[in-house]
Amino acid sequence: MGQWFVAPILAPLSRRLVELLVLLFCVTTLLFFLVRLAGDPAVIMAGEGASQQDVAAIRQFYGFDQPLILQYVHYLARLARLDFGQSISNGLPALRMVIERLPATLLLAIAAIAMTAAIAVPLGAWLGARAERPARRGAATLVFIAQGIPGYVVGLLLIQLFAVELGWLPSIGDETRVSWILPTLTLAAFLVPKLTRVVATSVSESMNEDYVRTAAALGLSDAAILWRHVLPNAVLAATALLGTQFAYLFSGALTTEVIFAWPGLGRLLVNSVQVLDFPVVQASVFVVGALVFAVNALTDIALRLIDPRLRRSAA
Amino acid sequence: MTLLSARNLTVEINAVPIVDGIDLDLASGEALGIVGESGSGKTMTALALIGLTPPAATIRADTLTIAGNDVLALDPRQRRALGGSVMSMVFQDPMTGLNPVRSIGSLLIEAIRRHQTIDAARARQLGLQALADVGIPDPVARFSAYPHELSGGMRQRVMIALALVNRPALIIADEPTTALDATIQAQILELMRARMRDAALILITHDLGVAAELCGRIAVMYHGRIVEEAPVADLLARPAHPYTCGLLTAVPRFDPARPRLMPIPGAPLPASERLPGCAFAPRCPRARDICRAQVPALAEIASGRKVACHFPEAVA
Amino acid sequence: MTTARGVLPFRLRLPLRAPWQLMAGGIIVAILVALALFSFFAPPADATRGSLLLRFRAPGTPGLLLGSDQLGRSLGSRALSGLPWSIGIASVATGIALLLGTTLGVLGAFYGGRVRAAVGLAVDTVIAFPALVLAVTVIAVIGRGFWPIAITLGLSTWPIAARVARAAALGILARDYVTAAKLLGVGPIAILLTHVLPALLPVLLVMAAFIFADMLILESALSFLGLGPPLSTPSWGNMLADSRQFLTQAPWMMLVPAGCIVVAVVGLNLLGDGLAARTQARMTGMP
Repeated sequence: MGQWFVAPILAPLSRRLVELLVLLFCVTTLLFFLVRLAGDPAVIMAGEGASQQDVAAIRQFYGFDQPLILQYVHYLARLARLDFGQSISNGLPALRMVIERLPATLLLAIAAIAMTAAIAVPLGAWLGARAERPARRGAATLVFIAQGIPGYVVGLLLIQLFAVELGWLPSIGDETRVSWILPTLTLAAFLVPKLTRVVATSVSESMNEDYVRTAAALGLSDAAILWRHVLPNAVLAATALLGTQFAYLFSGALTTEVIFAWPGLGRLLVNSVQVLDFPVVQASVFVVGALVFAVNALTDIALRLIDPRLRRSAA
Repeated sequence: MTLLSARNLTVEINAVPIVDGIDLDLASGEALGIVGESGSGKTMTALALIGLTPPAATIRADTLTIAGNDVLALDPRQRRALGGSVMSMVFQDPMTGLNPVRSIGSLLIEAIRRHQTIDAARARQLGLQALADVGIPDPVARFSAYPHELSGGMRQRVMIALALVNRPALIIADEPTTALDATIQAQILELMRARMRDAALILITHDLGVAAELCGRIAVMYHGRIVEEAPVADLLARPAHPYTCGLLTAVPRFDPARPRLMPIPGAPLPASERLPGCAFAPRCPRARDICRAQVPALAEIASGRKVACHFPEAVA
Repeated sequence: MTTARGVLPFRLRLPLRAPWQLMAGGIIVAILVALALFSFFAPPADATRGSLLLRFRAPGTPGLLLGSDQLGRSLGSRALSGLPWSIGIASVATGIALLLGTTLGVLGAFYGGRVRAAVGLAVDTVIAFPALVLAVTVIAVIGRGFWPIAITLGLSTWPIAARVARAAALGILARDYVTAAKLLGVGPIAILLTHVLPALLPVLLVMAAFIFADMLILESALSFLGLGPPLSTPSWGNMLADSRQFLTQAPWMMLVPAGCIVVAVVGLNLLGDGLAARTQARMTGMP
């Protein structure tokens, strides 16, 4: 135990860390220059109808009157200290606003991933176990079509059905427990078809593996083969997919949070973008990057813990 | 005591007979080799016996009893349950035959507890014993190992341990050494000879040499049929069917009387093609008109010797 | 005689691999492109002007096949005039993603060492970042409009193309005839143009269909978030955003654009699937 066990698990993290730094550097640099290319940032930040004095004050306050390269160095130095400045809308520290919104998004994402797994793994197992049967072919076609429906359209359809037509569930906010149902379903809808297909393909491919034949020759029932021999492999594939698709899920969180007025990071970003509140936008992008890094790193570690081939490959 | 009795066993896939009405008899403790080229139907015979033919396949037989079970009358669940307990199978490729995400020990315990109602601790003991029995050093360490951590020879030993762990009466081994290095092959053959004394063995192989090592009796298959069946010494010394003769001259050996390796000319007839006469006739040096017109029946030509040929070699 | 069937759960590939997908997908996409061209050159008038007397008409009303919205504008015409915008942006973005992704992917496959490492790092980095977050941020800064949106979407999606192209190019470069060409002294550019690109074409076609579908979804999401064309301009995303206030009175205001998006995306996915089956392109790395 000890070193040889920990080292291979942590090895991929250094690569992820490089990716994170490259990403944050590129995105923030991109934003810095875009803001200045797009026009006078002081004018943009002051908003329409601002007086000359206001613009001048903002220009001086944010240092927009200094040489570009100097501004850039200051900008990077402040970012390195995680100082994103204050929100233009309400003067609160931008990073704190973002961090405050993070739990709502994270909890929604976790609930959605749990629901995705709860739907996609059994469905995929059922589809893949006997993929040649007509009923499952039909179901696979439906999953394929469902893959073409954007998650936020699913969200609108769910609201139409459960909140408007039937009046069963609330469609906005996160106050009560039932108000979680529709947003969670909507966010899950982004990944359920993809994950179902991955699980189904993995299951149906595993069914042809020699080790399934070995298990059958030892007298194991179809159910035991599916649960104990085929599904562990499919779960590995599903975990890997969830890791790579977290970025996609977060894109989905943007529209989902807007639809359901969810007090999360995604809606904060969309709102800040609409009013050009750059400090908050920057802090959001920064936190999203760190979040994606954390999720990918956790997935890497999880895969290394549950896949015996990865676990001891360096031993 | 008769362990296995098959009469007119046929396996068809899309109406093409892959196994074409063969008879098999096996007594407890006996070892039978089924020898043939790829496509001769020998592997499908093995899969039919253990009940693992693909869904497209149809199995028919006048009789198919294994250890007193009329296996074709069983429902799929009962049929499956015979595997691992009454009979088990060792497959060709140990590299892909073990689940990569399951430890050796968990596979053994699962196989044991499927057929024996004992607690996990006892099953672990039996599993460790099974690993030791197949000559795996340090079974306790190997018990928690995963397949990718073992060599090919070790994996095949694990496959054999899995097949033997519930002490089945019949073991079917399909090319158990083909995927292994030559030196490992000899070790595995030695292991099988030592460990399979109690059980009956059906060895499926293309290699007459391997069959001769392990088996008392050999059945030669060609185009889905048994063309010759004889005690191993008789078959090797005086083969009766021209195809068997061809197989023997194709085996490399240091024998001054047979200086050259003589491959059989031509290629085997595809399973989907039917001839009115003997399927081997197109490649047979002795084929005459009757061979092309009439299928020869498998007939007894001497005590314990059967051959399906219109003009067999004299064996007396 | 007794009979038994095999009991092992052997399986077949997932369905949806027969040529009908190619036919169905091709027909849907061809109709969409034709409608887009039609509405680009002859925009229907009642898409932007309506009569308040005719507001909230249900689908099936004479003259308003798909119903009307809160201002009495024909939803069918609005969906039709949203097509050029959506298809245009998706085309440009797909073109950019394919061009950039294929170039970098093939270069990464062709030159090992630092080039491959740099391409790999760039791909992994951009792919890890939510495309919509990137697009929303950039477009908010540089302003909305056809070209900013198209270019931004293309620039945030190229890593998918790069990843697939790199995997496919590596496979092609390992083929014997490429090795033979190298041994005969054929230069790198000639090898790329005469051997790699032609063999890559099926993969590119399949990828184009799938990326196009992704772009349609991203574009409509941007519109939906208020970052698409000006709100008065009909686009599917804008129509969906409009519909949210009137879900009770006029659910069809949501169902019409939603249906358009679904039909278009499913058509493109079918086309991609059919092409992949037909050309046997191996789509390694496609999510």
